[in-house]
Amino acid sequence: MPATDYQGSSAAHTTRSFFSLRSLRRDQVHSMDSFHSTSQDQELEFFQKFVAEKFSDLSANKADEFLSLSWVQKLLNVFLDCQEEFTTLVSGNKRYLNRAPMDRLFSEFLERSVKALDVCNAIRDGIEIIRQWQKQLEIVLCALDIQRTLGEGQFRRAKKALIDLAIGMLDEKEGSSSVSHRNRSFGRNNVLKDQKSMGHYRSLSWSVSRSWSAAKQLQAIGNNLAPPKPNEIMATNGLAVAVYTMNNVLYFVMWALVAAIPCQDRGLHTSFHMPKQFVWANPILSLHEKILDESKKRDKRAASGLMKEIQDIEKCARFLNELIDSVGFPLNEEKQEEVVKRVKELGLVNEAIKQGLNPTERQVREVFHKIVKSRTEGLASSG
Amino acid sequence: MEPPEYEAAAFKSAEKIILRWDSTASEDARERMIFDGDRYEINSYLQAVDDVQRSIESTTLSDDQNKASSAIQIAMARLEDEFRNILLANANPIEIDALLDINVLNLNQSSLRTDSSSGDFSEENLNESGLQDLGAIDQSRRSSASYRSMLSIRELDLVPMEIVTDLRSIAERMISAGYVRECVQVYGSVRKSVVESSFRRLGIEKLSIGDIQRLEWEVLEVKIRRWIKAAKACVRILFASEKRLTELIFEGLGSATDDACFMETVKGPAIQLFNFAEAISISRRSPEKLFKILDLHDALFELLADVEVVFSSRSAESIRVQAEEILSRLAEAARGILSEFENAVLREPSKVPVPGGTVHPLTRYVMNYISLISDYKETLFELIVSKPVTGSRYSEDLTTPDMDFGEVEGQIPLALHLIWIIVILQFNVEGKSKHYRDTSLVHLFVMNNVHYIVQKIKGSPELREMIGDFYLKKLTGKVRQAATSYQRATWVRVLHCLREEGLHVTGSFSAGVSRSVLRERFKAFNAMFEEVHRTQATWTHIESGRHPENYIKYSVEDLENAVLDFFEGNPVSQLSRRRSG
Repeated sequence: MPATDYQGSSAAHTTRSFFSLRSLRRDQVHSMDSFHSTSQDQELEFFQKFVAEKFSDLSANKADEFLSLSWVQKLLNVFLDCQEEFTTLVSGNKRYLNRAPMDRLFSEFLERSVKALDVCNAIRDGIEIIRQWQKQLEIVLCALDIQRTLGEGQFRRAKKALIDLAIGMLDEKEGSSSVSHRNRSFGRNNVLKDQKSMGHYRSLSWSVSRSWSAAKQLQAIGNNLAPPKPNEIMATNGLAVAVYTMNNVLYFVMWALVAAIPCQDRGLHTSFHMPKQFVWANPILSLHEKILDESKKRDKRAASGLMKEIQDIEKCARFLNELIDSVGFPLNEEKQEEVVKRVKELGLVNEAIKQGLNPTERQVREVFHKIVKSRTEGLASSG
Repeated sequence: MEPPEYEAAAFKSAEKIILRWDSTASEDARERMIFDGDRYEINSYLQAVDDVQRSIESTTLSDDQNKASSAIQIAMARLEDEFRNILLANANPIEIDALLDINVLNLNQSSLRTDSSSGDFSEENLNESGLQDLGAIDQSRRSSASYRSMLSIRELDLVPMEIVTDLRSIAERMISAGYVRECVQVYGSVRKSVVESSFRRLGIEKLSIGDIQRLEWEVLEVKIRRWIKAAKACVRILFASEKRLTELIFEGLGSATDDACFMETVKGPAIQLFNFAEAISISRRSPEKLFKILDLHDALFELLADVEVVFSSRSAESIRVQAEEILSRLAEAARGILSEFENAVLREPSKVPVPGGTVHPLTRYVMNYISLISDYKETLFELIVSKPVTGSRYSEDLTTPDMDFGEVEGQIPLALHLIWIIVILQFNVEGKSKHYRDTSLVHLFVMNNVHYIVQKIKGSPELREMIGDFYLKKLTGKVRQAATSYQRATWVRVLHCLREEGLHVTGSFSAGVSRSVLRERFKAFNAMFEEVHRTQATWTHIESGRHPENYIKYSVEDLENAVLDFFEGNPVSQLSRRRSG
């Protein structure tokens, strides 16, 4: 098999690997010495290697790209690619789908997929939340527009927006969000009257009921996910391994999305146990560990998503807040420079988010559609 | 050009007013709201803001730029609070009656199957709604759709006009001072919660896809019905009114603020609304779901024109796209369910024969189902575009009948599907007939069931038109054939009683006919004759509702439940063999 050339590294848009199961099969048709059973083994091996390499690529990124918006886009692409290969694999083996134990294994997979749909919707909500934060950033940037001379008024405006941003990001931690509800301007020490009405506005922004929990959903997806037994592998001509592989891909991708992006009742305690003998186990487990490490590094109080840009927002906002609190008017040159520097940093974060949110949202929808499509086709073939 | 001293003085007095209302500085400023006060106070504040804004734009007060921009910021913060306060004071959700306005909901009545009036948008309807000028209406299909939606959209006044004016006067100033983002945020957060509260009144729930999957279909049917009403109210009244409000307040103030505010207000709720329909469109397909899915499809199809109008801006694209996607998924689901149904009819596995060879619950179910299908003819005509997947007449697969499309050329695909369903129903029926041990019952069963099919077809003009005379003739021919075979089979049994063999006894007493055997035979003959006669008499009464099998309720109900379970995708319970044929 020729060395595979995966375009994982820098492209953020959807790329299809040029070497895929389809091309493998096409080649085999032309080769004279393929027997059906060995081709099935080859396909299975290929699929697992494919998955392994995709996830290895995700690990191989530069440190400052890990868990960024563009990394999330790559993660989504990885899912789409793996799902595509899985569908090709299964469609070539339809005759197994109606027989035990494949019928049960496959329908379990379809059930897990459906649970992932709700995660996709929650992630879409989370992206909207980040969009609200980004709008606050724009106010700050507008206020501290370095093209103009900065006076007390502009700083007060920026400060107000930063406070609202902080409240909004805190709201999220408590399992709800409504950043756009701006608090009344009662001075720098923000005495918030009307806590009740604020609370009222807070709970209304998720599109799911308050009892929905991302953590529970992930648990349900990963529930009873056990490697196939030898007799199952035999009876399904190895397909059971492919199903187990795809189950883990689904589970991990959903888990990583929930880790990165704010959503209701996030929780990262779900665990992954795959036997190391599977070639893709290590790449996925090492990503899992990396993400858990990130979560440990984070400040316990600010428990919104682990996405790098979110961290950047918090960092920039914190610096700016301290800076604003420390300035006197008129600004001395040193302070002036620092403001310019921090504003530039914030501008970069803002740009990254602004550019990346819409494509990410579209991709999440693509994942949603792909899961629905594969489920519909799957139900039809196994029916 | 004003003298600089005049300008400086104007600025100073404006600044004074603004500082007086700085909520960070005075208790009094915190307690009271400018716009709650008298008109003079309001106007002088607004004038002050304008003066300060003007002085920023002019170059004469360059030394006091800082003062001016500081004053503006204080003014903007104040105006933001005032803006929010006014919005909150006028945040009443629309009355539920206005939302469920019967005129808006029933404009296109094709979705109400029980209503006998035409679903088309006729000239009479237009005149009834009081429209005079029809001359300007373009006859092309596209504009007629948007014209129809113009009528169905009902924009209500959400906020009194004086309030709108106040809001606009604040928005104007915030936008020209460069504070448009703050303005949009405040507007969006208050109006969005009003929309969400209207949602609750309309009974729109926050259900996840998992929640919906777990619900029983009967429960979902109720929710779908409610959703259809609510969605119409939301798109045509609620969202449309919110859009109008943003236009009234923000139109012409620059940077598409009206659109930004509208999207802040409704994007989340709109997605929540459509998520329900999306979840339904991807639920497991089973035959019982067809008609509600078609209802949902029809409703969404109607609504799509209104969605395009209300969500016309570029930023609303994702909502339009989602609505279109859901519509096409519903169409797919309908097609898939029809396929599922056809498969189910073919494979319906119950082997327990119906006592007395009467009409099988499967036959009843299928004929009722396809009668309903013919009721939904218009919609299905659009959706069903390909021929059914049938067996090949050259295949050796004995588990699937074949269908000769030659004889039904020119028929619409939907009709082909219905004919196919009849073909496989008949096939299944004939398969079931073979489970009777008594030959006469084999034919009686076929006869009764195919006769039932014929009667049902004849009873519905739409059905009859789609099935067509060719197949109807084939079916009636089948009935006749089965009747003949039945008669032959039964009378053979009767005559068998009078057979020669066994009558003569060889033995010591007599060489002639055994009297006791003869007596038995005549007894048997009489009994059988009576039975056959009775059965054949009841056969002619089968359509008038006398069901002789009712006295053996248990096993027939079992059978009915088994058939229903099968079509609803539930596991089929084992039937007990109470009576064998």
